[in-house]
Amino acid sequence: MLTPSELERYDRQIMIKGFGKKGQEKLKQAKVIIAGSGGLGSPSSIYLAAAGVGMIRIIDHGSVELSNLNRQVLYWDEDIGRRKVTSATEKLRRLNPEVEIEAIEETITEANVSQLVAGFDLIVDAMDNLPTRYLLNKVALERDIPFFHGAVYGFEGRAMTIIPGKTACLECVYHGIAIPEEKFPVIGVAPAVIGCIQAAEVIKYIVGIGELLTDRLLIYDGLNLMFSEFRVRKDPDCAQCGHLGGKK
Amino acid sequence: MGIIKIKLPSYMRSFANNTEVVEVNGNTIGECLNHLVKKFPGMKKQLFSKTGSLFENIIISVNGESAYPEQLAKPVKDGDELNIVFIVGGG
Repeated sequence: MLTPSELERYDRQIMIKGFGKKGQEKLKQAKVIIAGSGGLGSPSSIYLAAAGVGMIRIIDHGSVELSNLNRQVLYWDEDIGRRKVTSATEKLRRLNPEVEIEAIEETITEANVSQLVAGFDLIVDAMDNLPTRYLLNKVALERDIPFFHGAVYGFEGRAMTIIPGKTACLECVYHGIAIPEEKFPVIGVAPAVIGCIQAAEVIKYIVGIGELLTDRLLIYDGLNLMFSEFRVRKDPDCAQCGHLGGKK
Repeated sequence: MGIIKIKLPSYMRSFANNTEVVEVNGNTIGECLNHLVKKFPGMKKQLFSKTGSLFENIIISVNGESAYPEQLAKPVKDGDELNIVFIVGGG
């Protein structure tokens, strides 16, 4: 049941055709993991908290550094040296005290990933490396949790929504390819665009409106301001999701 | 042998006279990329390793559809458009 305060706070989105109070109730009941609280995690968590997602769990192991501030908009100059999850939680609670924000200060590993996502409905991929993305993709498939992929480099970005057993997964697109982990160039507006796309996908999925970004990798070229798509089929031989059936 | 269009990602265009779309000839993706390299030799280091294999962080689509698993061996025909996409992992 939405409170009078919530009805007023979310009035403009409740007005959207197909959204309504029912959609807002669904958002209130939803429990979303945001894996990573950096360039992608900042915009996605801000917009999901603002939209009224009932419970958001943020997982990150890092502390705020000066070089984060060009893109990680949850953190300000005064936060340098503080734990990211602490600072993020404070900001998001101030933005919207009506949603529950939970901070987990941990590195996501094969040993803890299953426990970290247990009991949650959706996972937002806001990581900064491919191996952890594959780990999250795997656990999302195992636990039948929709997974919202995003990644950036320079002015470029990628995004894709994965519904376990129904659509292509991250492994179907990248086939487990690892790229060297190194300091990567990025302008803040790139994760801002992709993080907002991820948040929009999460909201659409929860509310049950629109078409999802499934079976297609969205390619954002910020330098030429072009969006294109890379269509992918669910691979029946995929090492991660091939056994789950669905579209072939 | 058909005429195939290859759309280059932004960062590769400086190696091809700042061209966005290059027309090449070929019956497979591999032949098309070889023709691309012939036209713009600077592209070789962007696409292929020292052993001559396509870099792992590059994926290719034909008319928007993933070329996996055939990749370089995948046949193409006149009018097809190839898109070179590089895998990114930042966040």
